[in-house]
Amino acid sequence: MEMKRIIVSHDNITNHLDDVSTSISKGKVTTIIGPNGCGKSTLLSVLSRSNMPTSGTASLENRDLVMFKPKEFAKKLAIVYQQNEVPKDLTIEKLVSFGRLPHKTLLQRNQEEDRKAIDWALSVTNLTDKRHNDLEALSGGERQRVWIAMALAQQSEILCLDEPTTYLDIYYQIELLELVKSLNEDYGLTIVMVLHDINQAIRYSDEIIMMKNGRIIAEGPPREIITKDIIKEVYGVNAIFKEDDELGLYMMSLGI
Amino acid sequence: MRKRIASYVIVSLLLVVTIVYSATTGSIKMGFFEFFGALFEQDNSQIEAIRDLRFPRMIVAIFAGAALSVSGVLLQSVMRNPLADAGIIGISSGAAFVQLFIISFFPALFFMTPLFAFMGGAFACFLVFALSWKSGLSPLKLILVGIAINAMFTGLTEAFISFGGSLNVSASSVIGSNLTMRTWSDVSTIATYGTIGLVLAFALYSWCNLLVLQDKTAKSIGFHVARARLLIAAVAVLLAAISVVVAGVISFVGLLVPHIARRLVGYDHKVLIPFTALLGALIILLADTLGRTIVAPLEIPASTLMAIIGGPFLIFLLRKE
Repeated sequence: MEMKRIIVSHDNITNHLDDVSTSISKGKVTTIIGPNGCGKSTLLSVLSRSNMPTSGTASLENRDLVMFKPKEFAKKLAIVYQQNEVPKDLTIEKLVSFGRLPHKTLLQRNQEEDRKAIDWALSVTNLTDKRHNDLEALSGGERQRVWIAMALAQQSEILCLDEPTTYLDIYYQIELLELVKSLNEDYGLTIVMVLHDINQAIRYSDEIIMMKNGRIIAEGPPREIITKDIIKEVYGVNAIFKEDDELGLYMMSLGI
Repeated sequence: MRKRIASYVIVSLLLVVTIVYSATTGSIKMGFFEFFGALFEQDNSQIEAIRDLRFPRMIVAIFAGAALSVSGVLLQSVMRNPLADAGIIGISSGAAFVQLFIISFFPALFFMTPLFAFMGGAFACFLVFALSWKSGLSPLKLILVGIAINAMFTGLTEAFISFGGSLNVSASSVIGSNLTMRTWSDVSTIATYGTIGLVLAFALYSWCNLLVLQDKTAKSIGFHVARARLLIAAVAVLLAAISVVVAGVISFVGLLVPHIARRLVGYDHKVLIPFTALLGALIILLADTLGRTIVAPLEIPASTLMAIIGGPFLIFLLRKE
């Protein structure tokens, strides 16, 4: 995916994205990080076409995103939002089956393929046993996996995740990031996500896009761009970096 | 699953029982067997009277109940709001006012009243939507806006009637609902448009199901949220408008019936829409039948009974919100 000179302004006064150009590499895990209000979710919303840029172009496979029909685009890219209202009286399987919508037309549906896609989405998210359970009865971590399963049922090549770990406790955070990792490694999905935790971003990403005030400050592989200086510049935090045999690179924040 | 089937069976049976009871009770009384025997006789003055006077009324009640209830389900789905009802939020009174207005000034267009009622209802629906959109369609806000719209159209209608004595408008049927003196031509109007509306409503069930998702999520799976909303709302308005044209304004059915229906058969619109139609038909037929029998020879309109039950029910729902 390519973004060229994207400007987004919700109120025509301040630019929430200010002349952003970048590209997302196919088959990689790309993580967008930065302080609150830096425009990382806005960038994701432009990529996923839920926000139209005020100027500039975003394109996928050399086609402008606005040229895609909604269902056609949904077959290319799926997104899981941060907060989702949980509908009443709906089973996991039913919700996941909504993800098949882009593959259906008014007269045509391939039930065999739908069933396979739903089964696959449930099995990789480890929800097969609970498929007939009601959504309301699930824990936070399971709910997040259900929404991911719905996105997976779309069978798109690109999966976007907006702060997938924010409301989860540490166990479910790791479980979720491992799932994302395996979706990338085992099934070849291109992942674009927004994370808050810098160490998680370092550990689980191939590429990092670091933002501040609606601009990209640095982008590239985590080891190349995440340094003491840049953390100070972007977050205003003094940090030290250590190398651990098992963990690799990790960061400790010292103070402000 | 078992509960669903049981609910369908019980409500269907109750509807049949109510139909038979309603047909045989009233100013002309007939026994059950007498009634069925007489149905196949050629000259029985009693059954002729029932055929001409009571059957049309019953069929109108059945269709109006089904149409208004399904209209409620659709509106609740479109507005993502359990409190939406065509009567309460002013769609019915909008339809009633425009209908009255057109008939008064252009009596020659009488045969097109369903169309004008539809336009009036659609306008009211648009106003409610537009004015409560900013608050993210919050249930309470929407009801408040709807009540204001309803008051405005009801007021306009009443004002119109007070000026319009000379216009020779029969107003009683517009303000409240009164199912007496319905004719077979009323039946053909509501049966035609009502059936179309109900079939369309059922055809849209999967869209109604998808609207439980938040707009952003629904859009992300390639769902045309705006288009679906518009079409579902149009069918809801059609159903409400046709009921107004033939049976007058009956509020609260569209609130009460879907709520009970969801408790019994769940939230899947594939099951919910047909069940709501059945239950709505039962409730209005029952209300009308009771209304004309409990204080006979006087009559309590079905709409009055519904308001007496529906008002407290709305308070109950608001407290739960």
